Amino acid sequence: MNHDVTRREFLATVAAAQGAFVLGFWMPEKIHAQTAPAQAGSGAVWYEEPATPEVNAWIVIAPDDTVTIRIAQTELGQGVWTSNAMMVCEELQCDWAKVRPQYASANRDAREKAPEWTLKVPGNGATDPKGGGEPTFGNRDRTGVAGIPDSLYRRMRTNAASSVKDGRYYLQLAGAEARERLLLAAAGQWQVPVTELTAKNSVISHASSGRTTTYGRIAQRAAQTPHPNPATITIKSPDQWTLMGTEQKNLDVPPKVTGKTVYGIDVRVPGMKWAAVKACPVYGGEVRSYDFDAVRNLPGVRSAVKFPIPDPALTRGRVFSGGVAVVADTWYQAKTALDRMPIEWTIPPENAAVNTPMMNDALRAELDRPGRVRVNQGDVEAGFARAARVVEATYSTPYLARARMEPGNATVLVTGDRVDIWIGDQSPQETRFSAARITGVPEENVHLHLCHLGGGFGRNGNGPQAEHAIMIANAHRGTPIHMLWTREEDFIGTTYRAMGMARLKAGLDAEGWPIALDVRTCMQRDGFGPDASFDVISRYHVPNYRYSSHTTRFHIPVGTRRGVGQAAHEFYRESFIDELARAAGKDPYRYRRELIARTNLPYKADMIKALDMAAEMSGWGMPLPRGKARAIALEERGAEGNGSATISAMVHTVSVSREGKVRLERVDVAHDTGFGLVNPLSVKKQIEGQITWFYNDAVHQATTIAAGRVVENNFHTFPLSRIHEDPPEINIRFFSTGHWLIGMGHDRATSVQSAIGDVIFQVTGKRFRDLPYGKHDLTWS
Amino acid sequence: MAFDLTVNGGVHRVDADPQTPLLWVIRDHLGLTGTKFSCGIGQCGACTVHVDGRAIRSCSVPAATAIGKPVLTIEGVSPDGTHPIQVAWKEFDTPQCGYCQPGMIMSALALLRERPRPTDADIDTRITNACRCGTYHRVRRAVHLAADLMGRAR
Repeated sequence: MNHDVTRREFLATVAAAQGAFVLGFWMPEKIHAQTAPAQAGSGAVWYEEPATPEVNAWIVIAPDDTVTIRIAQTELGQGVWTSNAMMVCEELQCDWAKVRPQYASANRDAREKAPEWTLKVPGNGATDPKGGGEPTFGNRDRTGVAGIPDSLYRRMRTNAASSVKDGRYYLQLAGAEARERLLLAAAGQWQVPVTELTAKNSVISHASSGRTTTYGRIAQRAAQTPHPNPATITIKSPDQWTLMGTEQKNLDVPPKVTGKTVYGIDVRVPGMKWAAVKACPVYGGEVRSYDFDAVRNLPGVRSAVKFPIPDPALTRGRVFSGGVAVVADTWYQAKTALDRMPIEWTIPPENAAVNTPMMNDALRAELDRPGRVRVNQGDVEAGFARAARVVEATYSTPYLARARMEPGNATVLVTGDRVDIWIGDQSPQETRFSAARITGVPEENVHLHLCHLGGGFGRNGNGPQAEHAIMIANAHRGTPIHMLWTREEDFIGTTYRAMGMARLKAGLDAEGWPIALDVRTCMQRDGFGPDASFDVISRYHVPNYRYSSHTTRFHIPVGTRRGVGQAAHEFYRESFIDELARAAGKDPYRYRRELIARTNLPYKADMIKALDMAAEMSGWGMPLPRGKARAIALEERGAEGNGSATISAMVHTVSVSREGKVRLERVDVAHDTGFGLVNPLSVKKQIEGQITWFYNDAVHQATTIAAGRVVENNFHTFPLSRIHEDPPEINIRFFSTGHWLIGMGHDRATSVQSAIGDVIFQVTGKRFRDLPYGKHDLTWS
Repeated sequence: MAFDLTVNGGVHRVDADPQTPLLWVIRDHLGLTGTKFSCGIGQCGACTVHVDGRAIRSCSVPAATAIGKPVLTIEGVSPDGTHPIQVAWKEFDTPQCGYCQPGMIMSALALLRERPRPTDADIDTRITNACRCGTYHRVRRAVHLAADLMGRAR
């Protein structure tokens, strides 16, 4: 933290103006009553004020049979509160109509270790068909970046589309453990063998005596009944599921249509002041000076404080910017004053010199140099020497922002020995660590009151919102500070998906089948998913295959935006396969099918099934009017074979008007279920949403850099599609496969990108290899 | 500078600069947080409320322009989610993150009051709110169902 005179001066101002508002002690129940009405999405923390003792760390059962299920992942609209509660309910055998999800406590996670019985998953007697899809709790990393394997809730982050996969084992175990203890408690009360009892819909029955009781009535006793041997707990395999696998509406939807859901931006705490922030628009820059005197007399204004570049150790090495905050009674007053406050920046000249054309040149130059060879199978050069024909193409993708709807915000109260943070956060363990580092308060005394997010799309890559708010509040100890970014600041505070480039070169034999393939991809060295989609083995058969990964250094902070490197890489791969099929004069669906059939990929039958099903659904080959065409693409994650995968294929029917207007008319989706989808309704919603997401990537969105700064910083320059661009027809069909799914949240519908490109080619004869297509002339006559 | 606003049927005394955008008066002075801030430039529609029955983007309208006119926010549609448009929204499990949905619902409601049987083309023209999660496919179906339910209620 900075300790300049300005800050101390305004701390004094704050104290005087507020009548020395000091929070000497903590009244959580009052705060919670203010901020957390009893509804899904609230930040209420039951364990601090329990109506009944918990059965275990995930489950509290109230006397009226309401079952509170604590979810360690964050609800961003992906449905995790519902799907993960279903896992618990499946085993607990409680009444689904009385389930109420709630955020698990990140503070308690800092103070308690995971119960022994949850550490044994997977394989703890579970009849898991193949043992795949293991939870990834990461290494022992106290920052929480990779999860904390032995803390109570272990992995509290929400990322990599893995909340369902990683939650399944231990949430089913948690439900089973609680059920068995409820049964034991009833058996103890009635003095009958537990084996004579059954449990269903929160009712325990003893058939021979006709006695029944409810979970609500027995919960208190169950809380005091230890499990005699947790090692014997087994969980259901997918063929035994009754709730899991059925379409369930999301439990947190009702308050979302009345406006009652409490997002971070909606938190109100007594005595709270608002902070508006300006960070240096060039990353790596800092505040040289600011003139608070120019605005200190504006209505509501309390103080100003500058803050340094958030410690990169707290932001995974990403270097953001330093900035300045104005604190006022209302946010609009703070923002108005900040807009009028003169600020001078110190900007690193090397960063200020950077622009998108230079970056494109740098990526292209890097592709000409030798990269890190990841795969080298056969003899690629000999293959090219034998080829009847060589096809080469270079593709590129821009930086892309997440542009979630809720701008970054957090409410923070720092006192001498405690930090409270109200925030929507995809990585609360990391934020807890940051709070401790910045304030010096131990992690055990950091309390996060988690809220739903107004969109996430990429872990804590949503930038240093927490760190900004903690630094500002640390300079205003005793006063709760609600920091809220403007939309423009949200574009500075976020991390970006790395811009990238790829050069693919194939040698075709006389019949048009590839006999050599050289793939080079390039992104900046800290980009995510640099080897996705091409590593280990080619997804399309080629006897001679080389894949090299190339890197540059840029100053733009990059992070885990939805789809990460894979979204770009599948665009490169599927676009190139289309180009090869056209060069060979073959049908792109049959060309793909044949090349997959020739591989030894473990899931090749699933990949072929996906292609066949999507083609059949779409009426592939049926004539379409001029200006309209279909394109197909394969989507895979884990196809190289590691025990779990997600496989789908989509056919996109697209029209291009003579005036160059692209319209996605229809999408036919064939998607695998693995051993079983937990909530197929949420999966459908994720697919629909990602069709829109990747349509935007394909057609509209690009983040460009000029003079070292992000150019597109609001929705007029970084456009979001509206309902008139939504495809009128989306057909989704599932097929079952014999593996565990990796996840659904972030790399489905990447095919929109290559498919629109191929339709543009079919209709206009023009092939564009750099996204977004919207910047190109797509007219035809 | 104090002035009166009529919001969701009640008259509220507001002590603020009347040039403050209506959004911030609704959120921070009246404490109605269902109306959302997102872009601040009238682009995305997360802040949509009705003034005098018309859907407007409250982030870009001074509160002064709403003086003497009825203002309706999401909280005034129905407190318990029983309005047909909310029932329709729930039927399709429409929201994902839900942040844009109050504004989306207010835009749809203004359309339905003007055109009780909107066509797809009406929806395309009149619902210009942005949703980053991509709920449009369900929003369209929910608007048509809401039209059915509201028609039945008449």
